[in-house]
Amino acid sequence: MKPALPWGTAGRIAWRELRAGKAKFLFVLLSVAVGVAALTGVRGFSDSFSRALLTQARSILAADVSARMFRQATPQETQELRALEPRGVRETVVTETLSMAMVKGDPIPLLVSLKAVNPEKYPFYGTVVLSARAGSGARSEHPSLEQALTNETAVVDDNLLVRLRAKVGDELKIGDEWFRIAAVIEKEPDRLTAGVGLGPRVMITRQALAQAGLLAPGSRATERYLFAVENKQSVDAVKSQVEKDLPEAQVTDFREASPQLTQGLDHATGLLSLICLVAMVLGAIGVAMAMRAHLQQRIEVLAIMKSVGARSADILRIYLLQTVLLGVAGALIGIGLGLGVEYALPVVLGKLLPLQPAIRLPLDPVLAALGTGVLTTVLFCLPPLLDVRRVRPVLVLRRTVESGNGGGWGTWLREHRLQMVSIVVILAGLAGIAAGLADSVVVGKWFAICLAGVLTVLLGLSAATLRGLRAFLSRTRLHLHSTLRHGLANLYRPGNQSAAVLAALGAGVMLILSVFLMQQSIVESLREDVKPETPNVFLIDMSTDELPGIRGLLAKQKGVIAGLEAIPVVAGRVESINGTPVDQLKVKNYPKHLLQSADLSWSGTVPAGTKVAEGKWWASGSQKSGLAVVDRVAARLHLKIGTPVIFVVGQKTIAVKVAAIYKVTGEHAFARSEFVMPEAELKGQPVVWYGDVHARPGAIPDIERALFAAYPTVTVINIADIVETIQGVVDQITLVIRFLAAFSILSGLIILASSVAGTRFRRIREVVVLKTLGATRRRIATVFSVEFTVLGLLAGAVGVIFANLLTRILLHRMDVTFHRDLPGSLGAVAATAVLAVATGWIACWRILGQKPLEVLREE
Amino acid sequence: MIEVRGLKKSIRNGARTVEILRGIDLTIPKGQFAAIMGASGSGKSTLLGLLAGLDSPSEGEVILDGVSIGSLEEDKLAEVRGRRIGFVFQSYQLIPTLTALENVMLPHELNAPGNARGRAEALLETVGLGDRLHHYPVQLSGGEQQRVALARAFVLEPPIVLADEPTGNLDSKNGQHVLELLMERQRESGTTLVMVTHDAQIAERADRKIHLRDGTIVADELQTAVRTETLR
Repeated sequence: MKPALPWGTAGRIAWRELRAGKAKFLFVLLSVAVGVAALTGVRGFSDSFSRALLTQARSILAADVSARMFRQATPQETQELRALEPRGVRETVVTETLSMAMVKGDPIPLLVSLKAVNPEKYPFYGTVVLSARAGSGARSEHPSLEQALTNETAVVDDNLLVRLRAKVGDELKIGDEWFRIAAVIEKEPDRLTAGVGLGPRVMITRQALAQAGLLAPGSRATERYLFAVENKQSVDAVKSQVEKDLPEAQVTDFREASPQLTQGLDHATGLLSLICLVAMVLGAIGVAMAMRAHLQQRIEVLAIMKSVGARSADILRIYLLQTVLLGVAGALIGIGLGLGVEYALPVVLGKLLPLQPAIRLPLDPVLAALGTGVLTTVLFCLPPLLDVRRVRPVLVLRRTVESGNGGGWGTWLREHRLQMVSIVVILAGLAGIAAGLADSVVVGKWFAICLAGVLTVLLGLSAATLRGLRAFLSRTRLHLHSTLRHGLANLYRPGNQSAAVLAALGAGVMLILSVFLMQQSIVESLREDVKPETPNVFLIDMSTDELPGIRGLLAKQKGVIAGLEAIPVVAGRVESINGTPVDQLKVKNYPKHLLQSADLSWSGTVPAGTKVAEGKWWASGSQKSGLAVVDRVAARLHLKIGTPVIFVVGQKTIAVKVAAIYKVTGEHAFARSEFVMPEAELKGQPVVWYGDVHARPGAIPDIERALFAAYPTVTVINIADIVETIQGVVDQITLVIRFLAAFSILSGLIILASSVAGTRFRRIREVVVLKTLGATRRRIATVFSVEFTVLGLLAGAVGVIFANLLTRILLHRMDVTFHRDLPGSLGAVAATAVLAVATGWIACWRILGQKPLEVLREE
Repeated sequence: MIEVRGLKKSIRNGARTVEILRGIDLTIPKGQFAAIMGASGSGKSTLLGLLAGLDSPSEGEVILDGVSIGSLEEDKLAEVRGRRIGFVFQSYQLIPTLTALENVMLPHELNAPGNARGRAEALLETVGLGDRLHHYPVQLSGGEQQRVALARAFVLEPPIVLADEPTGNLDSKNGQHVLELLMERQRESGTTLVMVTHDAQIAERADRKIHLRDGTIVADELQTAVRTETLR
């Protein structure tokens, strides 16, 4: 047997063909390019968007990882933390404690919440915005923390100035030392996570804290160890290392800093994963349809090659090389397009989107897109390439070759076994790519299942429908209008690609509509989480007697938008959990100290801003006992539904069982609660109230003054800037989700349109024959419209059903309410039909205009 | 030498089976120019296709130089076609995306080692297309395209050339030119030439005329010898 065709010769022949048929190959190339461009663009966008967003999320914690302890680290622990340094981890310590402060000339001291930082390092993310008013002697109006904070100065909350009737430049005594007030704190990035203290904030340096002699043994200081991780992928690793090094510390990473942000980011990641996968599969569909059409056109060339002595293996080699060349070229063009969009859009939309043009080439998405582009091209070209073996050289003599119409399923399966194997290979390949691309395992898994489902159903449906149509037509043939008859008959004529078009369109509709539905539901849920009336002022230490008065005062204040939400706090301690006394408990990363002074609350109903994750909340006014625990505490203390817990409040012992585990969904009064019981359990115990309101940020200083005048013991904390940051980030998530969804929907439509258009070459001969027989353009266009309408409606219906299914499953897994959108779904079915007909027309228009002889001569 | 024994071909078209060849026995010695004639549908092209191994017979066998090609698998057949058979088609069957020169080089590239460029150029020169080497098929007239096809058929100097109405699509002048070239090449290289034709004048110039009707040979005349054979 002669040796196989050398790769070099095969490459030469493949290249010659490419070079000569530029116009025809351009179409294939563009299909690959659009798919890859969508992938590059979406991945690139989602990368740069995540980077920008995560930086903002980090600012809420001022670090990547934070560990909070109620004592200072031992020398051994400090040494273990130092070991993180060579791994690119920076560390700084922030000490928070309560102290009394007074200004010169006023002997009445005020309880302040003192924070000692190292201004050279703190904060790792975000900025402390200061304002130094005239007369303060500061060099600039908005000095940096490093400029303002020395060992002799302090920066303070505006609230402190109000209470002590002080001003910037005055001297403030804390402990044994005097500090000059250098500036007012306008924004403190980690104010929320730093713990809501009992008094206005005063910030000094760590050295000054030591000098002031406030850190006596046994003082209730909180140490927060902040870590910045250079390599962002290792945040989890650093977190678990810190948990190991500091077993008594509460360790959180930036993703846990705010419930809305955490959810927003989770949802965005899920949706972006889906969008990436959709871009990939749509691209693959485009490539597959284009290559299929391309190889079908070449069947006669293949027959000629075989008649001059080419073996199937030689031809496979030639066309495989050609496919790879097309895949690489298309992928490179696509990457160029994708990068172009990615670099150009932030310039145009920079004000709207939190995107910055990438400074360096985003290598990961580019390589992923290149690999995906070439791999999907080759994978999807396998079945048509394998068909090459069955091209009979006798085609050069006689166009119609006997059609193997006997033998039944067994023969069919035998003849198509390689195709079957290749389908399995394709599915495995797609699953592999999906696993590589999806950042969310849930999305990857369900996506693959639904995609396989939709393809199976579509192929089965197309076979059944086409068979049904055939039966219908053979009965009604002569009663139908000839145009309709011809159009319907077109769907199952020999060599028609109805099944392939149905599969491509149906899968495409499923993917596009899923993105749309997911996007809608997620945006809706983000909106619910971050309502404009989210509280931005906290009130601490209100007594039960004061509560009605404060409510009344706030109601009269201008600028208060949402009234007071209050949470009762009863001080108690945990005696035992599941029968084990607290001192024998083995808990990880939950300071036992907190169990000794647990804050208990009551609520008859599920409080605003929380959601029951497990179990059931008791009925309002219930006399029964019960306990609701916030999820993070439940996890750390290993509390399950039914776990018995004994609390001691004052002289009373309260034995309860866990009835519900809840999670925090919004920044409301109960966001910081840990244990909630029915009111009956805590009746008669001494209680203080914490509360929050939402006010116009500009009006807050006036509200603070009014409250101080009437209720001087109530502490007011203004977190308007942090709420604004969170809302800003969530708004941006919404915007980016919408933008990327629109981008992927648009590119999906282009790809689908090109898939339909790809069938046009098969139509040339038919159009020519029809025209020779005297058919008008209108008549031919109508015939095609009937064919495409049926295809579009069928594919649209199946796609819509599966899109609803996929979205419902994914949203359920992501804990987002699914909003059924009937008009949208029906619209999608209609739109698919319109798209199919429109692209069918556009693609065939040039053919319709051609003179028959031109085509016949070319043939 | 080509030997055909009991050759039958039927094709299935849906539920219907059409018999195209009903039993052909034939021997064509080396170097002979045989013309196959017959009305449309008589089975001429099918016979030619079976001789070239482009299709497989339903019954009987085709033996080329002692090798029965009926039992060969497709890739072996391709090898036989590439090495032993040149083909000229009525509708030229050039690859539209390759230039004249590349079309002629193709069989050599597929089937033989070394560079075919020199030989392809020389052959195109002899068929009068030395100035058309880099033209694509669409840029050539019908006669020119058929001359390219001719050069392609001879590029590997196959012992057998099969031609399916090679002048059928050409005007008489161009047809005449192509025929002259074909016969000249056949004579020069001692090739066995089997040509399907409708044209009685062309058939007159062959060594032998074989008439087909409804899938059987009804007459077989040797024109160079006095002997006339009428077969079953």
